[in-house]
Amino acid sequence: MDFELNDDQLAVTSELEKLAGQFATSPVDFHGFALASPELEQQLEDNGFFELATMEGMGPITAALAVERLAKLPYTAEIALSMLVRPALNMELPRPFAVVENSRPGRFVATAKTVLVIDGDNVSVAHPSADQVESLPDSLFAYPMAKLKSDVELTALSAEEADTVKTWLRIANACEMAGLLQAAIDATVEHVSVRKQFGRPLGTFQALRHRLSECTVLAGGVRWLALKAAWSGDAGEAAMALLHGQESALRVVYDMHQMSGAMGMTLEMDLHLWTYRLKALLSDLGGRGGQAQAVAQYCFDAA
Amino acid sequence: MDFAWTDEQKAFRATVRQFLQDNLPDNWEHIAHGPASKEQTTFAKTFCGKLAEQGLLVPHWPEEWGGRNVDPWIAFILAEEMWMAGEPRGGQYMNVNWIGPTMMLYGSDEQKQQHIPPMARGETLWCQGFSEPESGSDLASLRTKADKDGNGYRINGQKIWTSYAGDADTCFCLARTNPGKNGISIFLIPMDTPGITVRDIPSIIGEGDIHEVFFDDVVVPETARLGDEGQAWEIVGKALSLERVGIPRFALASTTLRKAVELLKAEGRFGLGAVDQAAKAHAACEAARLYSYSIIDQRAKGRIPGPEASVGRFATVNCERMVADFVVEHVPEAISGQHPMLLAHHQRGIVAGIASGAAEIQLNLIATQYLELPREPR
Repeated sequence: MDFELNDDQLAVTSELEKLAGQFATSPVDFHGFALASPELEQQLEDNGFFELATMEGMGPITAALAVERLAKLPYTAEIALSMLVRPALNMELPRPFAVVENSRPGRFVATAKTVLVIDGDNVSVAHPSADQVESLPDSLFAYPMAKLKSDVELTALSAEEADTVKTWLRIANACEMAGLLQAAIDATVEHVSVRKQFGRPLGTFQALRHRLSECTVLAGGVRWLALKAAWSGDAGEAAMALLHGQESALRVVYDMHQMSGAMGMTLEMDLHLWTYRLKALLSDLGGRGGQAQAVAQYCFDAA
Repeated sequence: MDFAWTDEQKAFRATVRQFLQDNLPDNWEHIAHGPASKEQTTFAKTFCGKLAEQGLLVPHWPEEWGGRNVDPWIAFILAEEMWMAGEPRGGQYMNVNWIGPTMMLYGSDEQKQQHIPPMARGETLWCQGFSEPESGSDLASLRTKADKDGNGYRINGQKIWTSYAGDADTCFCLARTNPGKNGISIFLIPMDTPGITVRDIPSIIGEGDIHEVFFDDVVVPETARLGDEGQAWEIVGKALSLERVGIPRFALASTTLRKAVELLKAEGRFGLGAVDQAAKAHAACEAARLYSYSIIDQRAKGRIPGPEASVGRFATVNCERMVADFVVEHVPEAISGQHPMLLAHHQRGIVAGIASGAAEIQLNLIATQYLELPREPR
């Protein structure tokens, strides 16, 4: 095993870091939820980052590292599905991607050229036109949300392809959650390090220090599980990673807002951008219960 | 980044598994009922001797001391397999993990010749004389005194919660030679030295696990001191860093969880609530496993792991508790002695956050060294 990046991965992450640096700060006049950046998406496209998983010497693990890194940005774009789910399907499908599960609103549906429609065990592909989607600008989830109208033509995937979609959707979401969890913790660490009450920084109080440390342990665990799953492509490992991500998110989201106090309630601190993305990912593929069932099926051989 | 095992690592794991299969008796689950029981301690002496004969007790030690200089990955695979089997080495895992290596670093030639070979042959049991009634996590406040007495020292004081003391041959004992943190020294004291009294403390973690050890005018020669006077803090820091990630407790937790799930499945009791909890515990075990591997990777590259070791340790505490809770809730008959291995994990799970440095100390280290939060006022 080698837990460090190889030279090729270091070169890619270094380039990615330069690109990410341009999107590291949210605009001072932005006080909303869905801070999407077509410029970020375009630069990723122009520099070939969406093809990382299929590049010689890179593979899904490198794409997973990119997804995790980019999830820490205040800006968002349709990244995870294109980088990790699309390459796993042996089909020519145009990006951006989106997922619609059980007719619910989904992320990036309004701009997607390919929508994976999940209905129970079945997965279909749709290529909706602009008039077949309805944007939901009032959503609190910090992604552009939209829903698919019912008249969209669907092409069913095979059971095997459906399983592939679910596995890689779990991996993609877990990688994204790993970055989001860490970004939320980083923002809170910064806040409690400078915010003083009772004459000293909040971060000197053990009640907060221990909880931040515990959340850090959870976030790092999600990262390793997600990266391992991206390396193996194993369905059980994918389910474990997303389960740990969803389980950890519930704890971390609450704690980070609590520790950020009233600042965390405002739309001036970027915390909500990460926490309301984490919340959006909580319900995917049946939420924690759905992931637990998949873990039981794949890891404990219990259907 | 690569999560694959090498062929050599796979072959070594297979060798260890075969050894365990060949050398653990049919009633092993019943022997392993308490981590420090008389029965297990006695079994461990024979078992460790066999391990030593096969070159599997201290393969990571230098050749000079009976090892083969294998890399940290091989050493960790060995430890993982031992813990998955219920740690048949008993208390001797301490010799292998940190007492022997610490002695190699700081011991005199005479001390090395006296103490290391019996450890390498699996013949000897040590105990760790650290905690005292007034000094647990705050180890620097310990009061046991070692006063100069002719060519040696006269030791007076009390140790408590000392694992394995009832059967140990030697104590790795901390005692104060001067005031302050830098006034603590280490003494290697045979447990049959006049003036030492050991009293068993009945505990929830099983027979023979924790003790009080009284030192009343215990006279030891100067040659019993490890390192210089006042060097204990440095030596213990090094020893604990070896210990902290040296115990793959997640491996026993993971095995226990699988056994519990198999029991429930066989009885048609692996329902929704159990599935939910088992899956979460499984994910926590695997997260702890990957944390530990990431630290072993650093060691294998010749680096000293930093605060990541504390992060990994706390992840292990989390998973041990989750598995222990799972067993209590879904296989409660185990706690009534129906499944000895599940009970043995439960007893270890209780102390997960206490032994080898309290979990709260790990959280403090994470906060200060990993998150770089401002320090608490003192």
